[in-house]
Amino acid sequence: MNKRLSTTALLATTLLTTACASTATGSKQSVLMTKTQTQSLKTQAPAGSLMAVVRYPAVVDSKARDKFREAYMASPIGGRISASTANSTEAQNIVDSSVVKSNYFALSLYKELAARLPEHSVLLSPHEIKLGPDGQLTSEPITQAESLPSVVTVDFATYSYPDPKKMMDKNPLTFGDLISPMVTVRTDHRAAVPTHGVLLSSKPLKDHAVGGGYKAAQASLTELQSGSFDTDVPELDFISYISKDVTRSAASHQLSMNAPENVVQISPMEKIKMDGSKITALNKGQKGAVDPLQPVFSKGFANRIIDIINDTASEKTAMGKRATAIASYDPSLAALTFVGSNDADYLARYNSAIRLLDAEKKYLSVQSLRLFDGVHNGEMGAQVRDMLKAEHNILEKRRALARKQNQAAALAILGAVASGVAISQGSNGQSERQCDRYGRCRIVNRPNYGQRILTDVLVNASIYAGTQAFAYKNESKAIGQNYLTSIVPALEQQTNVQIDLIDSNETITAIRFEDLKDKLKTLYNDRQRSLETIATRCAYNHEGGSQGTWMGVCEGGVANGNGVGVIKNASGKSVEYYGYASGGMANGPGYMIIHEPSGSYALEGNFSGGKADGVMRVSKAGQSDKLRNYSAGKDTGGASNAAAVMSPFNTRSGA
Amino acid sequence: MIRKTSLITLLLLGTTTAFAQETQAVENTAAETITQEAQNVGNDVPIAAAPQQEKCITIMSGFPDNGHVPRYQFFKLTQELSRDITPMLKSSLDYFGDSFVTAETPVTEVIENIANPVFRQAAPEITIGNMGYLIDFAMDCESYLTGQIESLEAYDSSLTESEFNIVIAEDALFMRQILSDTLFRVNAQDHEIFGPSVQAYADSLVTTRDEIEFASFENELDSIEAIFLTDLDGRLARSNDVINNEMDQETLVSSIQITDDLNSEAKKKRKQTMLRTLSRILGGR
Repeated sequence: MNKRLSTTALLATTLLTTACASTATGSKQSVLMTKTQTQSLKTQAPAGSLMAVVRYPAVVDSKARDKFREAYMASPIGGRISASTANSTEAQNIVDSSVVKSNYFALSLYKELAARLPEHSVLLSPHEIKLGPDGQLTSEPITQAESLPSVVTVDFATYSYPDPKKMMDKNPLTFGDLISPMVTVRTDHRAAVPTHGVLLSSKPLKDHAVGGGYKAAQASLTELQSGSFDTDVPELDFISYISKDVTRSAASHQLSMNAPENVVQISPMEKIKMDGSKITALNKGQKGAVDPLQPVFSKGFANRIIDIINDTASEKTAMGKRATAIASYDPSLAALTFVGSNDADYLARYNSAIRLLDAEKKYLSVQSLRLFDGVHNGEMGAQVRDMLKAEHNILEKRRALARKQNQAAALAILGAVASGVAISQGSNGQSERQCDRYGRCRIVNRPNYGQRILTDVLVNASIYAGTQAFAYKNESKAIGQNYLTSIVPALEQQTNVQIDLIDSNETITAIRFEDLKDKLKTLYNDRQRSLETIATRCAYNHEGGSQGTWMGVCEGGVANGNGVGVIKNASGKSVEYYGYASGGMANGPGYMIIHEPSGSYALEGNFSGGKADGVMRVSKAGQSDKLRNYSAGKDTGGASNAAAVMSPFNTRSGA
Repeated sequence: MIRKTSLITLLLLGTTTAFAQETQAVENTAAETITQEAQNVGNDVPIAAAPQQEKCITIMSGFPDNGHVPRYQFFKLTQELSRDITPMLKSSLDYFGDSFVTAETPVTEVIENIANPVFRQAAPEITIGNMGYLIDFAMDCESYLTGQIESLEAYDSSLTESEFNIVIAEDALFMRQILSDTLFRVNAQDHEIFGPSVQAYADSLVTTRDEIEFASFENELDSIEAIFLTDLDGRLARSNDVINNEMDQETLVSSIQITDDLNSEAKKKRKQTMLRTLSRILGGR
């Protein structure tokens, strides 16, 4: 009896560890689908600007592969990874396959955006993950897609928690019909000053994205200070996250159509379950016509991006990079484009320069379309679809086994409970006094054979059911691990093809793109007449600060006309000013961005002697833009919402 | 004399009177013109009045007739000449111009007179007068010119090529530049009434020149774009085809097959283990 009791107790304990196996479920659709209404484009891109650039990790440089895996394992989302797990081939395959899948699913978003935004206004920007000069992990764009201004750039990556043993648990996973996307949407820091350009971010990426935005803004300031318009292309936010790059906080708000301005909207880390029937329907002949991600994620995300574009598109989103792009053709014109002019000579040059950027846009757009065609509609896309189908089958098998495991565990628990009851009842069985013929008597428990047999059967059934549950669990685990082990050659091949596709395109297009730019430059130089007013570099001053740099119209060695001025102080405070100046100081309509250690904010309106003077539009963290009255640089109270703001961007043309 | 009368009438009525009214004013008094306009309200009015129709047809018959291309060039050139002509500028041409041109004078001769450097130097009023005549015609007969231009374009679509039209626009700009320079030669820019319109016309030539230069620039850029985009698209398509063909589908198929085999093996082992467990449970005690 004691043996049976201990068996039952042991069984009950062990069952606790096997019971209730997860069936690897996910949400039916992304929160982006439910919290965003269908949007149509209601705005135009600023001159020379794209609407959106989709950035994603495409390939990992062989020299950076170990570091990438190591960094990925060291920054897991949803738990901790043991050293033995991190070193396993299966875990490393999960990491490698996340890059392949980022490639494939980024194209779903591209397809959705390209279909809904004007022609040639959406580009793909595949990134190569590599080691930087400092030996740290970084990513660089493979094409020139990010050399042009864009209203927004979108980072997209898929994530899988890199523990093969946890595939059926709640951790984020991109496998079969499950996907965990990680995204950020950003614009130029000049258009979203308090958040350094970050508009929306997956929760784990937020502080890294803001940190990256701050770094890019500071780099741009340094360049302007030295008389250059070059701008940094930030690494992928996902790479910043895993390589634990600089972070910076910014006001945030949960995903909402009514979120205030000047906050980062946070998208939760999701595990979305795509329609299994759509995965099963994927086949090679369709060339990716069935897109299982579209109805659960891409459609909603594209709506949200269009909504952001509608709210964000302005000269501020484009002016920085547009000046950079124009400077490659006409440096003396570039500084004047921040504010623009109505002079015929300026407009003649400006219109031609914008036309050159449009030619670049078309060229890079064809490149993106071909990249899409090569990866999505080509053999690699077909193989990824086959892979997804295989993974879906594996998940379905594991789900079936998990259900059986749960049933077996339930049976075992029932058996254990029943046998426990039987044993307990057996211990209270009837006893009787038995006497032999010599009158010797003893108390004998009367054996209840029926009860005993029942108890034995229940215990045995429980043990069997428990064993079965263990077996199902092991089989399920084996199925996942078998797949991750055997898929290595296919994964390697896909990675190689990907490199071939992008590299060969890049080899061809890089040469051709440079060639195109040379041709355009020659044409431009042959055709342009001289500017009556040219931009030069001279001194710019700000209240109480050291001398800064002005790029624009100068007179007597100081700012005197339109242009851009920057000052960086040793204290960590820096100022960017776009607008009109007189005697070296901000004077007239202008847009001033002030970066302080505590945060950044912007003032737009009239300036006098370097100080805000009049109705100003104030952009500060965590609150929507407000109109305030300023006098000699001091805030003197709120202004009417109907008050006119003297913006440098209101009156100009040709900028 | 008639032109002077027209000018006085126009100034009396105001400078914004339409050109059609102005033509009427040559033949009628201002009061009659207003009455005529009032009568026309709500009625079907022919696009060109009968006398104008006759004038247009007569002048157009003097256009070159040695082929559809020269005719198109002349029609288009004449149309381009009427760009940026304000009523006040038109009046200034009447005021400063002095030449005798009849409807029978061939258009080629009128154009030659305008381009004649001797006239420009020695008798600028003849250049202005000829230009005024041509502009009169272009404005009065706009619907006929447009009709002829559209018919010829329908007949030969190559006439719509931008490169060809840019050349015509450049020729027109040259003649307009002659007009502007000649007006400056007679100091029209300093005239109390006409000065501002003459200055504005000179400024508008800068804009037109920029537009023509941009059109020419865009034309050349379109050619570069077409070459590069076609080349790029072809190269990438070929590159993708080669790479995709080289990709070995068998690798994935065999990987998935290996997975299936390993899974079957795992399943078999599980069954064996379970059977052993079952027999141990049932019979091994």
